[in-house]
Amino acid sequence: MSPAVQGTIVLVVTLIVLLSGAPVAFGLGAISIAFLLLFHGVDSLQVVAETFYAGLQDFTLVSIPMFVMMGAAIGSSPAGKDLYEALDRWLYRLPGGLVISNLGACAIFAALTGSSPACCAAIGKMGIPEMRRRGYPDDVATGSICAGGTLGILIPPSITFILYGIATETSIGRLFLAGVVPGVMLTGLFMLWTLFIIWKRGFRSHAPDFRYSWKEKFQSIPKILPFVLIIVGVMYVLYGGVATPSEAAGVGAALCVTLAVVIYRLWNPADLWKILRDTTRESVMILMIIAAAVLFGYMLTSLYLTQTLAQAIADTHVNKWVLMALINLFLLVSGFFIPPAAIILMTSPILYPIIRAAGFDPVWFGVIMTINMEIGLIHPPVGLNIYIVNAIAPDVPVQRVMWGTIPYVICMMLQIVILCVFPEIATWLPDTLMGPIIGAK
Amino acid sequence: MIDGFIWIVKRISQLCGVFAAALIGAAVVIVCQMVFIRYVLNQNTIWQTDFVTYSLVAATFIGSPYVLLTRGHVNVDVLPHYLGRGARYWLALASVIVALAFCLLMTVLTFNFWHEAWTKKWLSESMWRARLWIPYSSMPVGLGILSLQYIADLINLATGREPPFGIKPAEVVDLDSPEVI
Repeated sequence: MSPAVQGTIVLVVTLIVLLSGAPVAFGLGAISIAFLLLFHGVDSLQVVAETFYAGLQDFTLVSIPMFVMMGAAIGSSPAGKDLYEALDRWLYRLPGGLVISNLGACAIFAALTGSSPACCAAIGKMGIPEMRRRGYPDDVATGSICAGGTLGILIPPSITFILYGIATETSIGRLFLAGVVPGVMLTGLFMLWTLFIIWKRGFRSHAPDFRYSWKEKFQSIPKILPFVLIIVGVMYVLYGGVATPSEAAGVGAALCVTLAVVIYRLWNPADLWKILRDTTRESVMILMIIAAAVLFGYMLTSLYLTQTLAQAIADTHVNKWVLMALINLFLLVSGFFIPPAAIILMTSPILYPIIRAAGFDPVWFGVIMTINMEIGLIHPPVGLNIYIVNAIAPDVPVQRVMWGTIPYVICMMLQIVILCVFPEIATWLPDTLMGPIIGAK
Repeated sequence: MIDGFIWIVKRISQLCGVFAAALIGAAVVIVCQMVFIRYVLNQNTIWQTDFVTYSLVAATFIGSPYVLLTRGHVNVDVLPHYLGRGARYWLALASVIVALAFCLLMTVLTFNFWHEAWTKKWLSESMWRARLWIPYSSMPVGLGILSLQYIADLINLATGREPPFGIKPAEVVDLDSPEVI
C-alpha cells in the first residue's frame, strides 16, 4: 500500500475516532497502536510502552504543570476582580475607558494565568455586567470579553507556546518573546474595533457621576503589583538565561501560591486543594495528550507518512504563500472542532518540516498557529469562550454572543495577514533580545 | 454488587487524584530547592532533575483515573451534542470501548516494560543512578486503575446510571471545569 493511501486511511480514521467523543489522548493512542499493528505487525508493539514513557521524560515538560499552577493560584484568588477594579479606577473617565479597562485587564490577566477560559471567566464576571449596566450593547459586551480571553494563549507565559516549542524543538523563551508584540497589537485591534462599533451605534461613553480619589486609585495597586512583579521576574529569569523555563516556572508557581495565601488569605485547606486539584486535572490532561501525540508521531514516522507528505508538498513547487494560506485554512478548520493542545501536538511534527522547507521562521509560525488556535476558542461549533460567557450572562442568547465574536475573529485574521506581510512584528523582539539564531531549544 | 464495585473504583480514583496532586506539589517544592542549591549556594544538584521528571510522569499516569472520573480528559464533543439520545448512547458506548481497549493493552505492555526494568535491574543514566522500575511502575499501576475506571464508566453507561458523555438534557457550562488551553 502506498504511503498516500495509508495517509488517507490514517487521516479518515483519526477524524472519525476524535469526532466520536473519545478522549483525545486515548483516541490518539488507540489509533497509533491500531495502525502499528495493521502495517507493522505485533512486533511493533514492543516499543510502544517505551515510546509512551519517553514522550513525558523531558525536564522541559515540567514547566507545564508549574505554569498551570501559577494560573490556578491566581485564578482561584480574587486577583482578576482586583485587576479589573484597579484598571477601572484609573481609566473610568476616559472615553471608552470601560472597554479599554476590560480588554486591558484581559491582556494582563492573560499574562498572569496563560489560560484563555480562566481569563474569560475571571474578567467577564465583572466586565460583562458592568458594560451592560452602563448601556453597552449585549453583543459588544460579551463578544469583547470572549475575544479578550483568547489573549491568554498568545501573551506569555503561554502553555500553547510551550507545547509548540516542545513539539518542534523551538526555543520556548524565543516563542514567549515573539508573542508579546502581536499580543499587544491584537489587544489594540480589539480595543479599536470595540470603540469604533459602539461609536457607530451612537453609544457615547459618558463619565459616571462619581469620582475616585487618588487615594482610592493607589489603594487598588498593591494587591495586583506582586503578581505582576512575579510574572516580570519569571520573564527576566527566563530571558536573562539565569534559569531554565521549568526552574523559572517552578519558583513562579511557588511564589504565586504563597502570594495567594498571604494576600488573599487562601490558607484554608479547601482553597489550597482547589489550586492543586485544578493543576492536577489540567496538567494530567495535557501531559497525557503529549504522551499519546508522541506515540502518534512515532506511528506516522514509522509509516513514512510525515516524510512523504513533506516531500509531496515540496515537489508541487507551490508558491510558499499559497502553502501558508492552505496551512492556515487547515489550522482554522481544525480549530473549529479540536482543542488547541491536541492540534498543536498532532500537527506540529507534520507541519514543522513543511514550513522549514518552505523557508518560514518556526518562531513566527508558532505565533501564526497560536492566533489560529485563538480563533477556534471563539468560533462555533466548539468556541469554548462563547459558552463560558454564556454561563456568565445566561440571558444573552448564544447566537447573539456568537455574532458579537465575529468581528474579533476578523481582527485575528487581519492580525495573521499583518504578520505575514511584516513577520518582523513577531521576530523583532526575540531577535533583538536573544540574537538572530533560530531553532535552538 | 455493581454499586459496590463502582463505589470502590471511585474511591481508588479519588485517592489517585490526591496522590498525583501530592506528587505535583512535591515537584514544585523540589524545583525551588534545586534552584536554591544551584543558584544561591552555587552547588551541583544530583537527584533533583530526575526526581521532578519522574514525579510528574508518575502524576500523569496515576492521576489519569481521577481526571477520567471528573471528566477532565478533553474530548471533541461536537457530534455527541448534535446527535439524538439513541445515537449518542451507541457513540458513547463505542468510544468507551475503544478507550478501554487502549488502556487494557497499554496496561499489559507497560507491565512488560516495567518487568523488564525490574528483572534486568535497569538504572538511570544520570549521576543519581535511580532504579528505573520505581518510576516505571507508575505506568501499569495508573493505566490499570484507569482501565478499572473505564469499566466502571462502561457499567454506568450501560445500566443508565450516567447519561452518554455526561450530557444532561439542560446542559450548562461549569465555570470550574478544567480549562482547555
